[in-house]
Formats: sequence, structure tokens, C-alpha cells
Amino acid sequence: MHSTNKVLFFVLAMTTIVALVLSSLFYGLQGRVKINEEVYNKKATLSAIQTKLPKSLDEMTNEEILEIFNNQITQIVIDSKGNEMKPAEVEALGYGGDTAEKLDMSKEKKKPLENRAWPFYKYAADDGQNYYILAVRGNGLWDEIWGYLALESDLKTIAGASFDHKGETPGLGAEIKDNKQFQKNFIGTQIMDANGDYAGVLVRKGGAKNKKYEVDGITGATITADGVTDMIADGIKGYAPYLSGLTN
Amino acid sequence: MADTIVAEKKEASFSFGKKERKLLSDPLNDNNPITVQVLGICSALAVTTLFNKALVMSIAVVFVTMFASFFTSLLRNSIPKQVRMIVQLVIIAFLVTVVELTLKAFAYPMYKDLSVFIGLIITNCIVMGRLEAFAMANTPYKSLLDGIGNGIGYGVILLIVAAIREIFGKGSIGGIKLIGPSNEFLIDTTTSSIFGWYEPNNLMVLFPSAMFVIGALIWAHRAWNKKLVDIS
Amino acid sequence: MADLANLFIKSAFIENLALSYFLGMCSFLAVSKSVKTAFGLGLAVIFVLGITMPINWMINTYLLSETGIFGQDFTFLRLILFIAVIASMVQLVEMVVEKFSPSLYNSLGIFLPLITVNCAILGGSLFMVSKEYNFAESVSFGLGGGFGWFVAIVAIAAIREKIKYSHVPPALRGLGMAFMLTGLMGLAFMGLMGIDLGAF
Repeated sequence: MHSTNKVLFFVLAMTTIVALVLSSLFYGLQGRVKINEEVYNKKATLSAIQTKLPKSLDEMTNEEILEIFNNQITQIVIDSKGNEMKPAEVEALGYGGDTAEKLDMSKEKKKPLENRAWPFYKYAADDGQNYYILAVRGNGLWDEIWGYLALESDLKTIAGASFDHKGETPGLGAEIKDNKQFQKNFIGTQIMDANGDYAGVLVRKGGAKNKKYEVDGITGATITADGVTDMIADGIKGYAPYLSGLTN
Repeated sequence: MADTIVAEKKEASFSFGKKERKLLSDPLNDNNPITVQVLGICSALAVTTLFNKALVMSIAVVFVTMFASFFTSLLRNSIPKQVRMIVQLVIIAFLVTVVELTLKAFAYPMYKDLSVFIGLIITNCIVMGRLEAFAMANTPYKSLLDGIGNGIGYGVILLIVAAIREIFGKGSIGGIKLIGPSNEFLIDTTTSSIFGWYEPNNLMVLFPSAMFVIGALIWAHRAWNKKLVDIS
Repeated sequence: MADLANLFIKSAFIENLALSYFLGMCSFLAVSKSVKTAFGLGLAVIFVLGITMPINWMINTYLLSETGIFGQDFTFLRLILFIAVIASMVQLVEMVVEKFSPSLYNSLGIFLPLITVNCAILGGSLFMVSKEYNFAESVSFGLGGGFGWFVAIVAIAAIREKIKYSHVPPALRGLGMAFMLTGLMGLAFMGLMGIDLGAF
């Protein structure tokens, strides 16, 4: 009996101390973590227009990133029919906010295409031009992949792209994120085909045939690359009504 | 007489003599956690694609082994026998959570990169192995040194593997671009006449390559340190 | 149902915990010297993964997440609770097996405590969280992952038993060769990547 009490006391004391220290650490650092998360997501969005930023993203401080986002970015949420959604409608989606960055693309992806909401960012660059950033999400080989496409002010030429993934194979599928050349190849391609329909960009195995509409694939990562093609095609389908509305 | 013994003991327990040095240096060679004790391989594989990742991981492991050994040794006489294992695990898990929260607050991108592998330090057998084999039977100070030694012995191998994989796989080290097919690299293989043949070897980025590199390291280590050769 | 069967096959072969993620390597390399012991450890891993995965799923969903019964974000306790569940499950399994099937206990007994520090178990639970599986999927993932690990360790042990008779350079014998073999097996398993299970 005595020894059982001792064990119980020891375990209880230990659990209390550990829980207290950890929870104070957790709540003490929570503010920083929140800011980090916010900046991390904003950085991901901005990475699509890397080349149009005043300086390299890696050299920017948290404050500078927040400043660009606050002053030069306009956030709009649109639906798949081409309408801008009102703040109240966005709030009703249940993501705890009415701005485009609050959208959980992973949850939106599970809805049918015609019911999805899409984030749309307008970036007023220092060179006086407007750039538009679209967010797309799809499936790679193992898990989800996602990316951001930046469009020139003509709304059909890609000004930059960035991709990320949850669990693609390092060295193969993960190259969509790690291989900067792959992302650079998107610059200058058109999301509109020769007939003027919104089509997306094809990642072609074995090398692009027409650099205006295609980019080179990644050796050994055909499925991830096809995932990128499908993801962009799907995304463009969702954005197309709004984009064509803007162009006119 | 009795006084001198006590004094000696006291001095011995905090001095940094030959014995203590051995505690630190042994894990680097004769008793290396990875190449000799075969502990903590799992995390050695996934985080060695990039040098920086391996560096952060090594520091985290040194921190965890060091303090886990220290705390366990401090509590070694009061830990009830029946729950020994769980108590040890709670100490380790506590330290790992501290590392995780710190990374989250101060190096968020690195935290994202390492993802579940930070959590897996808990089951890094080095930590648990040292607690069982050393800290449960030695003074806190010695355990601390043993923890540091083993953490560093692990870290060194991790860094060697990561350096090999990153240089041959990506042509860079720690993000500094050394050799590759564009002018962003120190040696541009598209223009260089000497290194024009070089092409990054993608195999090095894949998981299995870590097995080959560690296997080769063990081979080299045992060829050099003959007494470790497996005669069975 | 078909989805669950697919997930089982996927986690057993395509995303093999041992040969694709290289988890649980410590015991994998230490215990794969003979097929018999490898078989015992493999069985124990299936068992423990299959049990801890659903329990950890419930803990994560109902206790730790913001939508759980406490309505608070307790994720900072995740690692501690997961490892505590694994350690206590291993001990419980040990006691139950010892009581009801002494023969099984004798063959598994020595491996059970080893499993607590097998990263495949904790890794499986952490992957389950990051992949956002539901309850049924977590059971399937646990059993499939365990089965894959079992297959991998038995296969490697069989190769190691044979390679004893080959002329391996002395310094490479034993451990060094085990690493090379595991690496080669890993490469072979990469060949299974990208199989579309929906096509069957």
C-alpha cells in the first residue's frame, strides 16, 4: 500500500510539474507562433511574385512582409461563378475571418468545383503595375500539393509560380518546391490556349514542346507533375469566370 | 582520514579529468551511437538531405540527451521501479516538446521542414539507451557529460552524412551553392571547362542513399578501427 | 470499404514504414539477424500499431483538439500522451499475453519492451495526425503499416541469414552490410511508388 501511494504521488507530482511548465511555455510563446504562422502563409503567397518584390523574400523581416501585405495587397474572395463574395458570406464559410488568406483551401478542395470559394490577391507593385495572385490546390503522388500563380496585368500571362507539398518524395516529387528552375519555367507561359479559352499550363514529361503553353516535367516524378497540371487546370476553371469578367 | 575521502570524492565528482574526458570522447569513436551502438538511425535518415536540417536536428538531440540524462540521474533514487520506463519517457517527451515549441516560436520554417521528425527524437534510442545504460547508475554531472558526448557523437555522423548527401545531391552545402548548372553556383558547370561533366546525383537526395552513406561510413570506420570488426 | 482495403495495401507496401520512411530502424537492424526472432518482433509490431493507432486517434480528436470535449488547444501535450499510451499499451499487452498465452509470451516476450522505443509506432501515430485520417482509416493504416514493417524485417532477416555465407569484406560484415541491404531494399520498394490502387 505504502509503495503504491509513493508511486501515485511521484507520478502526480511529475505530471503536474511537466504540464505546468509546458502550458506556460505554450501560452507564453503563442503570440510569436501566431505571427510566425501568419508570416509563413503570407510569404508563401508572395513567393509567386518573388521577382516583382523590392527585395528577396529570404532577406525580408517579418515586419516588412506584413507591411507589403497590408499596404500593397488587396484581398478578394470569389466564387466559382465569377462573383466577389461579401464579407458576411465569407464569414459564413466558418474559417474565422472574412479575408482571402483565411480560406482553408484544403477544405474547399473537397467541395464540388462549382461551390468552392477562391482567394484572389491583387498586388500593386512598386513598378506601377498590378499583378494578380491565384491559389490552387490538388493531389500529388502521396498527398496534397498546392501552389500560387501570379498573373500579369493582362490576366493571362504567368508572372511567377511557387509550389509546395505535404509529403512528396525528396529528390523526385519534392522538386516542385525545391527546384527553383521548375518554378521559373512557368514565367511567361499563358493560361489561355490559342483559341482564347482558359486552359492552364501543361507540365509535359520529356520536355515542353511549346514554351508558351507548356513547361518541362521532372524526371522520375511524372505523377506529381501530372498533379501540378491537373491542379492548375482545376484552379483556372474555378477562376475563369471571374478572370474573364475582369478582362472585359 | 574520513574527511579526506569525502573531500576527494567531492573533487572527483566535479573535476574534469581523464575519466570525464573519456566520457565525452568515447562516443565519438570507439562507442559511436550510430556506427557502433546502432542507435537512433531513423531520424538520421530523414533529416540528412540538407546540412542545415541535420545541424538543427543535432543541436536538438544534444540538448535532449544532455538534459534527459541529467534529470533522470537527479531523480534516479526516487523513481519508483514499477513506472521507471514511463517516467523516463515523460522526461524525454517533455524536453522534446520544449524543443518543438522553441523551434515553432523562433525558427518556424525549420519547424515546418522537420515536421514529425522532431517528435521522433523521443523514440531516438540514443536518449533512452543512455538513460538506461548510464544515467540510472551515475551522478548527474557524469550523466550530463555522457549525454553531451553521445549527442555530439550522433550529431557528427549526422552532419557528415548530410554534407555528403547535399554536396553530391544538390551541389550545395548549408544552402551555399557550390557547383551546378547555372551562374548562381560558385562553379558553373555550363561554362566551367574542368567541371563541365558534373551533374548533381539525384540518388543522394532519396532516402535509401542515407543507408548507403551510413553503411559506407561504418565500413570506413571499421577498416580504420580494427577492433570494431564484427567477427560473427 | 474498398478505400480502407486500399489504404491497408498502400500503407503495407507502397508507403512501407520500414523501407520507404526508414522508421523503427534501431530494432530493425538489431533484431534482423535471424528469421525466427524477426518474425516474433514483426508480429508484436503489428499488434501494438493496430492497438495504439485508434487509441491515439481518439485522444487526439476528443481530448487534444480544439473541437474536442475540453474545447481547448492542448496539442502541446500530444507527444507526452502518445508516448504514454504506447508505453502503457505495450505493458498491458505484455501482461495480457503473459496471462492468457504463455507460449506466445515466451516467443514475443523479450521483444515487447523494445517496441516502446520503436519509432515506427510513434511515427505511425504522428503521420496519422498529419494526414488527418478518420477513425476507420487510422485502424487500417495501423494494421497495414504494421504488416508492412513485419514483411520488411522478415525479408531482410532472410537475406542476412544467407549473406553470412558470402565473401563480404571483414569491415563491412554484419552491420555495414545490413545498412547496404536495407538501402537496396528501399530502392526496390521505391519501384512500387505511384501504383494507382483505384485502377484494380
